Amino acid sequence: MTRLIKYEFYKLFCRRSILVVLILFTVMNLFKINSEFHSYSYLADGNDSRSWNSVYWQLYEDYRGEITAEKINRLLSLYQPLADATADMTASTATDNPDMMTGNIYSDQNILEKYYVQPMEYFYHYRTYARNVAERAKENAAVYKERGQTYELRKNSVIYNLYSGRNIGDFAYEEMYNYYLNYDFSGILVLFLCLYGIVGTFVCEKETQMDMLLLTNPGGGKKTTFAKITAATLFAISVSIWFSVIDYMGFTCSFGSAEGGSLPLYAVSNFSTAAINCDLWQYSILSAAVRAVGVWTMGMVFLVISMFWRSALIPFVADFGAALCLIITGASQSHFSNIWLKVINPYSLLANRILFSKTEFVGFAGYPIQSFLAAIVFAMILGAASISAMMLLSRRNSYIFCWTVKSRRRTRGTFMSALSNESFSH
Amino acid sequence: MSGFMYEAKKIMLHQRGLLYIALVLLLGTAWLALSDAPYDSAMEQYRNEYEWYLEKVDGYCTDESSLYLEQEAWRIAEARGRQDVLLEDYYDGKISESEYEKESREAEKVLEHQNGFEVIYQQYLYISENAENRCFLQTNGWTGLLGRGTLDFILFLGILLLATPAFCSEYGCQMDTLLLTSREGQRSALYKLLITIAAVLFLCAGTSLIEYGFYRFKYGLPHGEYPIQSIRYFADSGKGISLLEGYVSIGLLRMFGSVFLTIFLMWVSVLAKRYALTLLTGAASVMIPYIGLPKTGIYRLPLPLPFLLGTDFFAGDVAARDVLTGDEKIIFAEVDMVALLTLLLVSVLLCALAAVWILRRNTNRWLMKAGRKKHGLALAVMFGLALTATGCSGRGKTENIVYNSSAAYDCMGYEIIGDTGTFAYSLKKSSTGETYPLVRSPMFGVFSDEERVCAVMSCPPYLYYSTLVMEGHVNRVGSYNSDITKVTVTELNLDTFEEKTVFEQITNSGRSLLGIDYETGDKWKFLEFHYAFFLNDDSIFFIGNDGISKVDRFTGSIVKPDIPVKGNLSFDGENIFYKNDRGLLARYYIPDDETYTYEDIAVYDFCMDEQWIYYISRTDGGRLYSCGKDGSDKELISDMPALSVTCDAGNIYVLAKASGEQMVLPKRR
Repeated sequence: MTRLIKYEFYKLFCRRSILVVLILFTVMNLFKINSEFHSYSYLADGNDSRSWNSVYWQLYEDYRGEITAEKINRLLSLYQPLADATADMTASTATDNPDMMTGNIYSDQNILEKYYVQPMEYFYHYRTYARNVAERAKENAAVYKERGQTYELRKNSVIYNLYSGRNIGDFAYEEMYNYYLNYDFSGILVLFLCLYGIVGTFVCEKETQMDMLLLTNPGGGKKTTFAKITAATLFAISVSIWFSVIDYMGFTCSFGSAEGGSLPLYAVSNFSTAAINCDLWQYSILSAAVRAVGVWTMGMVFLVISMFWRSALIPFVADFGAALCLIITGASQSHFSNIWLKVINPYSLLANRILFSKTEFVGFAGYPIQSFLAAIVFAMILGAASISAMMLLSRRNSYIFCWTVKSRRRTRGTFMSALSNESFSH
Repeated sequence: MSGFMYEAKKIMLHQRGLLYIALVLLLGTAWLALSDAPYDSAMEQYRNEYEWYLEKVDGYCTDESSLYLEQEAWRIAEARGRQDVLLEDYYDGKISESEYEKESREAEKVLEHQNGFEVIYQQYLYISENAENRCFLQTNGWTGLLGRGTLDFILFLGILLLATPAFCSEYGCQMDTLLLTSREGQRSALYKLLITIAAVLFLCAGTSLIEYGFYRFKYGLPHGEYPIQSIRYFADSGKGISLLEGYVSIGLLRMFGSVFLTIFLMWVSVLAKRYALTLLTGAASVMIPYIGLPKTGIYRLPLPLPFLLGTDFFAGDVAARDVLTGDEKIIFAEVDMVALLTLLLVSVLLCALAAVWILRRNTNRWLMKAGRKKHGLALAVMFGLALTATGCSGRGKTENIVYNSSAAYDCMGYEIIGDTGTFAYSLKKSSTGETYPLVRSPMFGVFSDEERVCAVMSCPPYLYYSTLVMEGHVNRVGSYNSDITKVTVTELNLDTFEEKTVFEQITNSGRSLLGIDYETGDKWKFLEFHYAFFLNDDSIFFIGNDGISKVDRFTGSIVKPDIPVKGNLSFDGENIFYKNDRGLLARYYIPDDETYTYEDIAVYDFCMDEQWIYYISRTDGGRLYSCGKDGSDKELISDMPALSVTCDAGNIYVLAKASGEQMVLPKRR
């Protein structure tokens, strides 16, 4: 079976066109990542000694690491006079002020405010915020216990456990992670590539009528179907992981730093209510794995749709339409509170911040399940159901020349029946 | 039958070209009808009043029309003030009823079209910025027709279905080599090219005409000769074309874009000879730049995409101010005429080259390629976009409603404490003094100042509250708009403290999906400014400064009943009680959409409980009376002149005029 899977993988996915598309998409992805940096980061202003980029990294050495009262005071003693001087907007607008780090007082105030004061304030206060949440969850749990609301009691207990002890002890550069965690473009490329690779899995044999011939082979029929599904699974997962790795490397190179990986996930402000407690580097790995599950599920759905057609036209357009529907509904529903809609849409796993950035639950048999867990389980079930459907609907092999098979199978099909099937299908 | 007809028959019937065309037109029309929302909802809602003013100032903004609008603004402001004074004078006995009626009729005449005036005055402010190339006109139709600027996905999928099989089907069954051996066959590539292009042109023209017909029928498309800058989407455009010329130009560019995509697909199919690769290239060539590139970049590329979009070739520069640095940043740079023509020329050249390539590859040469057998195709185009779920709750929860906008009526022993500074609301149990945060989610409002409670409504055993949440992850202006403002109405069961979302809506008119910006119209904008709301099983009524908006909980449709929002509003599930412009108590019966005025009840203030309406009589020196909900069975409750009255489930609370103190009175039994 391993050899069959290997053959199928080589046949279906080790093609020149797929390799070319993969390289092309990878290059496009890297360009897009680089443009994200230049569009959104204020640090993309070159390496001049007075650029924000240089000033930021010079100051960074002083403030990185553990947040201490001394560092906060030092930062405020630098920032506060600038803030006071610029408050009434009457300070000089000169851009070559030698006393200023960037040459301009407003610019100095802005860089300190955006890149040091605001993040450090958020990091510093996060422990208090999280404690408030934990306390409120504890109070809630008591209230719900009084009222006999077991589900809400359990939910608030989970929130309490999740938030108690949350703390951001260190200061680090987190801008790269903010944009990395909110980056969706590669997900679309992965879907396109999977769509292209997977849509031909069954169709290519039908187009060349090899499907008939395969049925006469001991390794044909359901075995081949299984090998194809496995090969498609491997392909979808490899492509997804490849792009996840490229994303991470691309962001690291474009932003010029992988600093901040050891910060907790909730250090990125739009993950303040993150569903899990882990570091940013750990989340990058988790996110890649979850995305692979999403891509695999969508790949299996594509495969089921393509199974019933004899040319790639309709399945490609149908799969493309289905993917568009899932993407549009998934992206437009991502801000709403109907958690089930996020859970049942595999796109949520592709852009998985939809699930991980908020502590949300779905109720199942009276137990609160975190949305990301429910979505992973649902995607697995959907993928497994698609595989089962394909296995059930695929044709059994019918052969005559293979004497090594068990005799009971001989009665099921003959070479003649295969031929008659073929002539009938014509 | 000639070779041309054979090819036409093959493409249209055997390859189901006709079916795809019909499907695209049908689905496109259905989607248009379902998804359309007016860009300026007030213009549509107060259409008659707006048109009344439009007749007077239609066209370019002249000194006369400018003067007229400024004077009218002054007249309306004066009439509003005059009406208030007249009312006070009348109830104070300073003027007689006939004098009051005569004078107020005049004021009412001025205010007759005031809602429409608000709309036209906003338009006047826009036109005044550049009066030379902006005109007064009904803009919703033209904005819908021209100002969307998003890709027509249904048309795009239709082109993929039409153009891909033209050559791929021949390669699939090795007919391509056979065709080259026959005399007619040699011309088949040309026929295929012409027939497919004609089909796509028909499809594109059909779509454009359907859109034109739709907007003309729904909103009207008046004055096509006015400059394109008259609609906001093209505000700073430097191109001197009219609206109709804009429509024709955009339509022609879209047709060219469709032909470009068709030829591109056929060229790829001739090279790749496989369905999957052709489709991938076609889909990726449109979707990847659409999602991945900023708009300025898209409109500089010789690809089918900019022509398929078309609109922004005529839009002006779009700039936004960076909040942090205060610098202006160009979000979209206008495509000047030279750039447009160059791009068009390059694209036409590319099309011509591709067409020549296609024809050369199909001239009489024996192509030894492994082929595949063609089999019949069947239809499975899946397309159905799920819309924003507005959420709904079980029926029958709001049967016995008593709502007064001035005070919470019955919160089942809880007191709602709102901090106006922090917008933090909590529930205080009157019996024990325990307080609970109103919003049950422990995370709400902790991490962000952009999460707040807007309004509360009680309807035992439920308490409803609305929240406004703003989110966004990009904190610099650029090509991606990540900002979301969301309004949610949540139902809280006061017995169990269970929560349920009953309504949810994103209010931003400009939205972004995977980097693709699109406009949804301003129909939900009012939600951001609501300060109170009440609901029944069918509708939610949001109260804002510009009136009441009734939102259907199941369809999401919005209606604005003509109810002034000055003073208290009471609601009993079916009727809205309010003080009308003349100070008289009035009732709006929701099921029949009818208004009843209690002609003999002039009030300063009022409130309502399950059975009675308590009001401070304007005609009787501010004394407190009560009456039934139909206005009958009046009874004096208190002799003491009062300024305001509220009530809860147990008592009536009156603010005494003389002492300024709040008095507690027993309710009428």
